[in-house]
Amino acid sequence: MQLYLPVAEMSANVFIFLAMGGAVGFLSGMFGVGGGFLMTPLLIFAGIPSVVAVGTETAQILASSVSGALAQWRRRNVDVKMGVILLSGGLVGSGIGVEMVKVLRRVGVFDVFVAACYVTFLGVIGTLMMIESTNAIRKTRAGRVVSGRRSGQHNWVHGLPLKMRFNRSKLYISAIPPLLLGFFVGLLAAIMGVGGGFIMVPAMIYLLRMPTNVVVGTSLFQIVFLTAATTVLHASQNYNVDVVLAVILMAGGVIGAQFGTVAGERLKGEQLRFLLAAFILAVCARFAWQLIAPPSEFYSLAGGI
Amino acid sequence: MLAGLALVCTGLVVLGIGETAAQQQPRRKAPPPVAKEAPRSGETTVKREQQPGARESVEADVSARTVAVTSSFNGTEIVIFGAIDGSQQPSAESGYYDVIVVVEGVPSRLVVRRKGNVAGLWLNTASATFDNVPSYYAVASTRPIDEIAPEDFRALHGIGLKHLKYTPAVGQRHPLSSEDIKEYRDAIMRLKRRDGLYLDRPYGVIFTGKSIFRASIVLPANVTVGPFDTRVLLFRDEKLLSRFSVRLTLEREGLERYLHAFAYRLPVLYGIVTVMIAVGAGLLASTIFRKASH
Repeated sequence: MQLYLPVAEMSANVFIFLAMGGAVGFLSGMFGVGGGFLMTPLLIFAGIPSVVAVGTETAQILASSVSGALAQWRRRNVDVKMGVILLSGGLVGSGIGVEMVKVLRRVGVFDVFVAACYVTFLGVIGTLMMIESTNAIRKTRAGRVVSGRRSGQHNWVHGLPLKMRFNRSKLYISAIPPLLLGFFVGLLAAIMGVGGGFIMVPAMIYLLRMPTNVVVGTSLFQIVFLTAATTVLHASQNYNVDVVLAVILMAGGVIGAQFGTVAGERLKGEQLRFLLAAFILAVCARFAWQLIAPPSEFYSLAGGI
Repeated sequence: MLAGLALVCTGLVVLGIGETAAQQQPRRKAPPPVAKEAPRSGETTVKREQQPGARESVEADVSARTVAVTSSFNGTEIVIFGAIDGSQQPSAESGYYDVIVVVEGVPSRLVVRRKGNVAGLWLNTASATFDNVPSYYAVASTRPIDEIAPEDFRALHGIGLKHLKYTPAVGQRHPLSSEDIKEYRDAIMRLKRRDGLYLDRPYGVIFTGKSIFRASIVLPANVTVGPFDTRVLLFRDEKLLSRFSVRLTLEREGLERYLHAFAYRLPVLYGIVTVMIAVGAGLLASTIFRKASH
């Protein structure tokens, strides 16, 4: 069934995008990740203009994060104060990011910029995850018990001014690191069409040293508000949110996620991380190829400015 | 979810967004036409011109004067059919007359970008802006157009892909040599042909009777909405006998049109509605699946 996408201005096969949403939903349910960093590249590979892929995926991430955020909220796993600080930085970052998209698009380098961002982030994160999970698998095979480390040691973060008390996280730290972290994630969310959980969660654990039980809830809490704001900003500044495409992806995504969660429960953590790392590196390689391979067509057309 | 979307759109109709859509520029990709006037409602869509001394005259029409671009739009085929009044032709196969049909979209400004290698990466490094680039151009004829009409006639009237009059705009971002211009022009032609937006059908016009003929032309899914100028020219021995033109309009219709108008005219509200749909979808999904799993 073909459907004309009003903002992407192209005809698309509904079932292909439903399946795509379902597949990414499955993976995100399985791995417990948002899936934006897999969905946006897939949309671009499927021929959706990069700009529209980024804007539309933001709306889809919102849909897939809402229920998770609500569940975490009910279990009181959200540090609201921390979330608000992260979000304040995030909104500024998102605003700047949306403007950057506008400028990069006008100059005609947005596609390449997005591809370069993905290669960098997916490359680094994929490699780190691959190493970590391989080590974990090897250790488990050797019969050692893998313990989640959480040292009480102070790092440089604790030396900064503007200290605040975060009761839910049992932390007394400077507001500057969370503000900067939020800003950075907001910037990435707007430019790359991701939720930013893949940066936020490790940063909360290793940099801010938040207790693991509030990490996911707080991250989801800020993703919901960040993606909502970014969607509105994209729609109003870049006209790149395709509501029809978003609805198709949401439908596929929520269904896929249900099956993914079940499948994820059958696999061990380190195996899951190894698989996810492999996916991430594959997407990274595809983008890298796009950047370095000699193009078959050196010219492209764009509407008048 | 789709029902919710439909509901939102119905709301928009009530708000009156639908009515404003007609006055809106058809697409952001098509800025106001440079060389031609956009059609206004009430303007005659049909124009005929008889060459002095010719006994024959041609009349034509298109299968649909208005083509709707709806949510299920996946390109369309239009049929241009015509008749020769006073035909001297003994039969459909005699090849006594020649007909050229030209379908042309709105000319507009277009940016062509060229990739270059920078430190091993392929980036858009140069660009050129062209004016008067037709969004769509199709030419169909009874036989190759260079056999039908002389070169100077085709050049003058812009008949055939070779004679499209797009030109580099004044004030380019990068200086252009004449060689660059040629390469960019060729690129426009190549890409537009690849996308099915520029096409020639040298045997696309077929006589089905001694005075009637038809041609079918494909408008692909990625075609720009707006008016299309359709010209039908009748020739005999390289001489123009008669010509006829009719306008065809591609318009957004239905849900697709409301959504497009909504996204471009009330972008903030559109964003907010999208957010509401997303939140609603997320909540709905969690309710459904929680019930299902218990």
